[in-house]
Amino acid sequence: MTGTANPAFEARRGVAVEATGVRKTFGPIHAVDGVDLELAAGRIYGLLGPNGSGKTTLIRLLTGLAQPAGGEVHVLGTKMPSREALSRIGYMPQSEALYPELSVAENLGFFARLEGRSGRAAIDRVLELVELGDRRGSPVLELSGGMRRRLSLAITLVHEPPVLFLDEPTVGVDPALRVQFWSHFRRLAAGGTTILVASHVMDEADRCDELLFMRGGKVIGQGTGRELRARTGSENLEDAFLRLAGLDSEGRPLGDRGAVEGRPS
Amino acid sequence: MSARRILAVARRIAQGFRRDERTLGLVFVVPIVIMALLGWVLNEQKDGAVRVSIVNQAGLIGDRIVDALQTAAAEADEPMTIDTLADVDAAREAIRAGDTDLAIVIPDSLLDDLTSGTRPTLTVISEGTDPAAEAGRFQRLQALMADLAGQLAVPGAPAPIVPRIEVKTVYLSPDATTVDVLAPVFLGYFGYFFVFLLTGISFLRERIGGTLERLLATPVTRGEIVLGYTLGFGIFATLQVIILTLFVLSAVEVPAIGPIPAFTIGMGVESAGSPVLTFAIALILSLGAVSLGIFLSTFARTELQVIQFIPIVIIPQGVLGGIFWPIDQLPDVLAAIARFLPMTYAVDGLREVMLKGADLGSSAVQVDLVVLTGIALFFVVLAAGTIKREVA
Repeated sequence: MTGTANPAFEARRGVAVEATGVRKTFGPIHAVDGVDLELAAGRIYGLLGPNGSGKTTLIRLLTGLAQPAGGEVHVLGTKMPSREALSRIGYMPQSEALYPELSVAENLGFFARLEGRSGRAAIDRVLELVELGDRRGSPVLELSGGMRRRLSLAITLVHEPPVLFLDEPTVGVDPALRVQFWSHFRRLAAGGTTILVASHVMDEADRCDELLFMRGGKVIGQGTGRELRARTGSENLEDAFLRLAGLDSEGRPLGDRGAVEGRPS
Repeated sequence: MSARRILAVARRIAQGFRRDERTLGLVFVVPIVIMALLGWVLNEQKDGAVRVSIVNQAGLIGDRIVDALQTAAAEADEPMTIDTLADVDAAREAIRAGDTDLAIVIPDSLLDDLTSGTRPTLTVISEGTDPAAEAGRFQRLQALMADLAGQLAVPGAPAPIVPRIEVKTVYLSPDATTVDVLAPVFLGYFGYFFVFLLTGISFLRERIGGTLERLLATPVTRGEIVLGYTLGFGIFATLQVIILTLFVLSAVEVPAIGPIPAFTIGMGVESAGSPVLTFAIALILSLGAVSLGIFLSTFARTELQVIQFIPIVIIPQGVLGGIFWPIDQLPDVLAAIARFLPMTYAVDGLREVMLKGADLGSSAVQVDLVVLTGIALFFVVLAAGTIKREVA
């Protein structure tokens, strides 16, 4: 699935994305404050946390779009940022990031060509996947919000990348389409694709194989949904998050006594 | 550096234009409309009749001047009317009321001055609100007065000889109009302006719309993006410059049809030099505008802020670039600034080629081409530098 085999990746078979002590500051703000993570190939990871918790910055560090102030990121064994590794990464930004005056097929064709896939087959395949085959000639201007989101996903998938970073892919997407998106993700993961999905809605969390809770630039908890609930003694993930963040059920700080160590030691 | 990716970026830009008729209109139609308007105004500017009122305080000898002026005015190519008014107050009132343009006061000391050999002074009164228009009127009055100089001689004394002046020129014909001199440089200026505006806004949208971020998450390099943009907008700049060059150089007569009077399409400016070289200079200038637009889009957050660069970038180049005032005549500080502006070299090159017929062998043209290319490349590097993997 990975195309070019990288010796370092071969040596650590199974780990698709690895970050050690990654930090990023914007002036006085520690957007990402020492994050370590390992994402195994073929699994779906949910990156959950409130707005401003550092999810987008972390994803941009993982894709190499941002330079870390400290620490290292490796994707498929290649140290980031690396342009060579970018062809094996699919990145779906939170913003629309489409050319409104271009048609669906032109948007796809453009990014496909940049990735070195110019064949019509590649475009048809993803258009079918996101069910936009009948709109290939329509300018993006004429598409609904949901269709635009689907096109954005199609662009992310057009070069069949083995690693996907999806930043809030289901924002503004209706429930039926959301179910479709998740079934695509599940199918891709079954084929060996590693997926990191950032979200601030907890109800998507259960669809992930594993969760990373983020707050204040730090990963405050990692594990399966069941593990995180059990570890915090919470009934649902929302409570689990609040406990790990040291907050009570109303979102107020608990102080030292209530904070729970989220990471398995 | 991958040609395939550069072409992909250029193609993306062309595709975007295809559906945007209004922008296409801005690129291809608007410059021609502006040039046509300019040519129309400058070529067929009406020389309105100059109305002169004379206040004669010198009696009979003054009457001779009035008669002579009236005769000369009747024979002049350009219309001029001459009447008389009783006194200076009446003349001032007439100018205030807009009934006359200029008043000439012939002093009562005229005869004494002439007989004693003193230079007589005529007073000319004008409105004093529009120096350009008034200078034109003075000029025409002076031409008339020169012819009359002989008539002021005292009877018996020999008439002074006023030489006739015949104008010959090195480059253009003596009949060359302002259009012939301005058209070559506006050719470059408009191309530059529109390309800068379009690139600046396109690239800003790339930045704020998130597509730049998505681009940077693909294997495309910054250099490839800038070169792709230069190529994509270069195609449009090329077409624009070709159309403008043709419009400036050609003149197609359209005969009168029914109620529509005959008119001319094109400005019919005669180029002394190669149209290809003219085109090349204007194109290199425009290509520099692509990377300048990309570079400056970094400093804008909205489309409105790109527009705000027009008075900062485009207008000073129009003022200092030598279009209206030669660089040599600028104050030292401004002349030094002008040496850094691409427009200065484009204006010089276009004039050298179109007015003086210079070719590639001319060292002036060589310098202009080298500097313009250098500036364009400098901004390509600068623009590539502003596209960071770190955006947003």
